[in-house]
Amino acid sequence: MGLLNFLKKIEPDKKKSPVLHTLFDAIFTLAYSPATVTEGGVHVRDGMDLKRLMIHVVLALQLCFLFGTYNIGHQHFVAAGEYMGFLEGFHLKLVHGLIQLIPIVLVTMVVGLGIEIFFAARKGHAVEEGFIVSGMLIPLIMPPDIPLWILGVSVAFAVIIGKEAFGGTGMNIWNVALLARVFVFFAYPTTISGDQVWVSGYESLNPGVMADYGWAHGLFNGLFDLLNIDTFDAARTAVIDGYSGATPLALAYSGGWEAVTQNFSVSQMWWGTIPGSIGETSKPFIILGAIFLLLTKVASWRIMLSACIGAITMGLILNAWGATPFMDVPWYYQLYMGSFFFAIAFMATDPVTASTTNTGKWVYGFLIGFIGMIVRVMNPAYPEGWMLAILFLNTFSALIDHYVLESNISKRLQSA
Amino acid sequence: MGELINIFIKSAFIENLALAYFLGMCSYLAVSKSVKTAFGLGLAVIFVLGITMPINWMISTFLLSETGLFGIDLTFLRLILFIAVIASMVQLVEMVIEKYSPSLYNSLGIFLPLITVNCAILGGSLFMVAKEYNFAESVAFGLGGGFGWFLAIIGIAAIREKIRYSAVPPGLRGLGMAFILTGLMGMAFMSLMGIDPAAF
Repeated sequence: MGLLNFLKKIEPDKKKSPVLHTLFDAIFTLAYSPATVTEGGVHVRDGMDLKRLMIHVVLALQLCFLFGTYNIGHQHFVAAGEYMGFLEGFHLKLVHGLIQLIPIVLVTMVVGLGIEIFFAARKGHAVEEGFIVSGMLIPLIMPPDIPLWILGVSVAFAVIIGKEAFGGTGMNIWNVALLARVFVFFAYPTTISGDQVWVSGYESLNPGVMADYGWAHGLFNGLFDLLNIDTFDAARTAVIDGYSGATPLALAYSGGWEAVTQNFSVSQMWWGTIPGSIGETSKPFIILGAIFLLLTKVASWRIMLSACIGAITMGLILNAWGATPFMDVPWYYQLYMGSFFFAIAFMATDPVTASTTNTGKWVYGFLIGFIGMIVRVMNPAYPEGWMLAILFLNTFSALIDHYVLESNISKRLQSA
Repeated sequence: MGELINIFIKSAFIENLALAYFLGMCSYLAVSKSVKTAFGLGLAVIFVLGITMPINWMISTFLLSETGLFGIDLTFLRLILFIAVIASMVQLVEMVIEKYSPSLYNSLGIFLPLITVNCAILGGSLFMVAKEYNFAESVAFGLGGGFGWFLAIIGIAAIREKIRYSAVPPGLRGLGMAFILTGLMGMAFMSLMGIDPAAF
């Protein structure tokens, strides 16, 4: 009970320093369940409060984080033409990934939680933990080399305009993590599209040259020297000839499935050793996370299933149409490329922004799959469709619910 | 026929009058408090756009153009004549709604006659002239544009009904929130912007 006594001792005064007290309260309730219970009347009887629910999603994302860390380093070394094998230079890949990923997570969390705590203190609430999940999702959907100030601005936009303006956690209409990404996409398009941004250390202004390593790499070099294993070689600055950094989607857009298979094998796309956003590449780990969410009933199976049906339907239609090389990509391979799995498992199923009625969930999921595939294949402006398709359906989820309710009411009236 | 469907889809989703051009904002923001009235106004806009577009097309082709009835270039009269057509059509809609649905008539209030100055309608007609559509295309464009506007207004109305129970900061309640919603909806609608159905 040492920690409990310690926390009790340092509890700041709520009146004098509301911001500090909110911060304290957040940490306190994370460590201990509050002893105060609601009196009078029956309320929620489940121990599954908001914090516990959100921790499930965070847990489900950990495998993606692990693989994302490795893949940042892996893509970096593949671009330089060294350590091409999966396990070669494993420690270097992992360390490089961590050096890129940790600042991204820190900036996201500090900016997002900072704003949340400030607003909570202003409103006199306990801090709402909604940002824990968004703050975990945002790093996973960003390119590995995103400038940290752009990340900070986009997180601030998403939290203030997308969430606090609506009244905080559970009241937002659009998915906060996707709003952050869409903000980067429209405000700073060069940092999140094109062939160069998906590979860490690949300088888009100076193609063919890898960015210099920073001081953190130097620190680890010292450690690796002591252990007598491979170090980050400062002379490794050139990108190998013919390397473009293009993602499978970019290749498919220009040259169809053939161009994709010339550069990547299907198993590479399945396991995720391809360039892309940090967390989106590895399908098995995403599926494991999705199964965990389904077993704990945090995510809705109706949305996942109907989104798959929608995407497959549109994929078949496009196959039959076949006007461009991209449309000829077989529908089952369409699912392998890009972020379909990640978006459907973690973004579309967000219980706040999705439709809440069961019929509504079917419609909502189906249209996400359907429209996402249209945007991906037919819209030359955007390399991938799921982000915008989910935001588009977030817009109409309230309307879908409204009409499901109306039809239920009129059915009951008829049978009465 | 394929061309007409292209124009319909394009004007409804890709070049949405409300969310891509931000036309017709006045009634869009004012009448979107409940889905029911928004639905009624949306239908009225579809009707007025669908009727005025072909009439305005005939006026500008047969009366105002140099190859028309008078043989001289009368395009400077375009705005006045378009507005006159729109105003008379709105009068018609108003009479019909008053007769068949007095409750909707009352809830729409002043915004029903104000469709006359709804810039989505006049803007639609002017776009139609600028894009040099033929008669059938102008019908498709009118119905598509109206449908897109209808979709946008019932969409925002459903969201505004939903956030009525949210703890929106007091300073933003009402119109402030409607502006933020419109902006974010416009962002969501950008997903389809840039698709050219005719390119395939």
